[in-house]
Amino acid sequence: MKKKYPDAQLDMTPMIDVVFQLIIFFVTTVDMQNKALDTQVRMALSPNGPIEEQKDPRTVVVDVDKDGEISIMRSPVSEARLLTILNKARNESGQSTPVVIRGDLAAKHEAVKRVMDICGKAGLWKIRFAALKEKAAS
Amino acid sequence: MARQRKRPEAAAGQLEMTPMIDVVFQLLIYFIVTIKPIDVITNLDVFRPAPDQKTPKDAPPPNLVRVGVYQDGYTINDIPATPDALDEALGKVASYDAGQTIMITVSAISEHGRLVKALDLCAKNGLRSLSVVSASN
Repeated sequence: MKKKYPDAQLDMTPMIDVVFQLIIFFVTTVDMQNKALDTQVRMALSPNGPIEEQKDPRTVVVDVDKDGEISIMRSPVSEARLLTILNKARNESGQSTPVVIRGDLAAKHEAVKRVMDICGKAGLWKIRFAALKEKAAS
Repeated sequence: MARQRKRPEAAAGQLEMTPMIDVVFQLLIYFIVTIKPIDVITNLDVFRPAPDQKTPKDAPPPNLVRVGVYQDGYTINDIPATPDALDEALGKVASYDAGQTIMITVSAISEHGRLVKALDLCAKNGLRSLSVVSASN
């Protein structure tokens, strides 16, 4: 049987364009998410902790690893630098700015205390401790 | 006389589905490989007493329940307690008054995980007024 349109072909270019756009988008966003979450900190479990429905956008997250090193967004910071950052946060967002401390479960309390003391020096008293409510199945 | 152009019949043009299915499978494999399940995070609120708050010497002792977090265990009102005993005691406190302030004193050398455990037990029993004080030893 003879075909009516033997030269008819589907143009694949737009489809390939869209697929590449999607791949670039997902690769970029997944990488950003990984950067924000510090995998060096193993948080303690708190299955009875409250579920947070709305996150305060002013929140400052401070990580304390098992050796007591302080970091923000995976960048190590000194105590003086942390104080500067928290002072700036207080000046820009007010004294009710929440500070979330993500401490490693094996970190000594004295390291966490140092962060809490710096928060106090900066005039920030709304301190919260991050913990794992539910661990993702690996 | 101009030639009349014939419109193609619907049955003649068929969309080739193979490349689309290929792409869909590629995307599916990509997402299955890359997507990781995310941990559910909770934030435990505490009150940190300001260091400049001074209480007069003749003031009556505040009505607090004291929980101690040490390297090797817990205490409640200075009595050593296991995590289960602490849970039970906090449950009793909450049954009397859920607004009761719990003062958690944490040893400097204790692990942070122990403090989180104590805060979790308070959250479990509905106790929300929590003060965290750091001990020097």
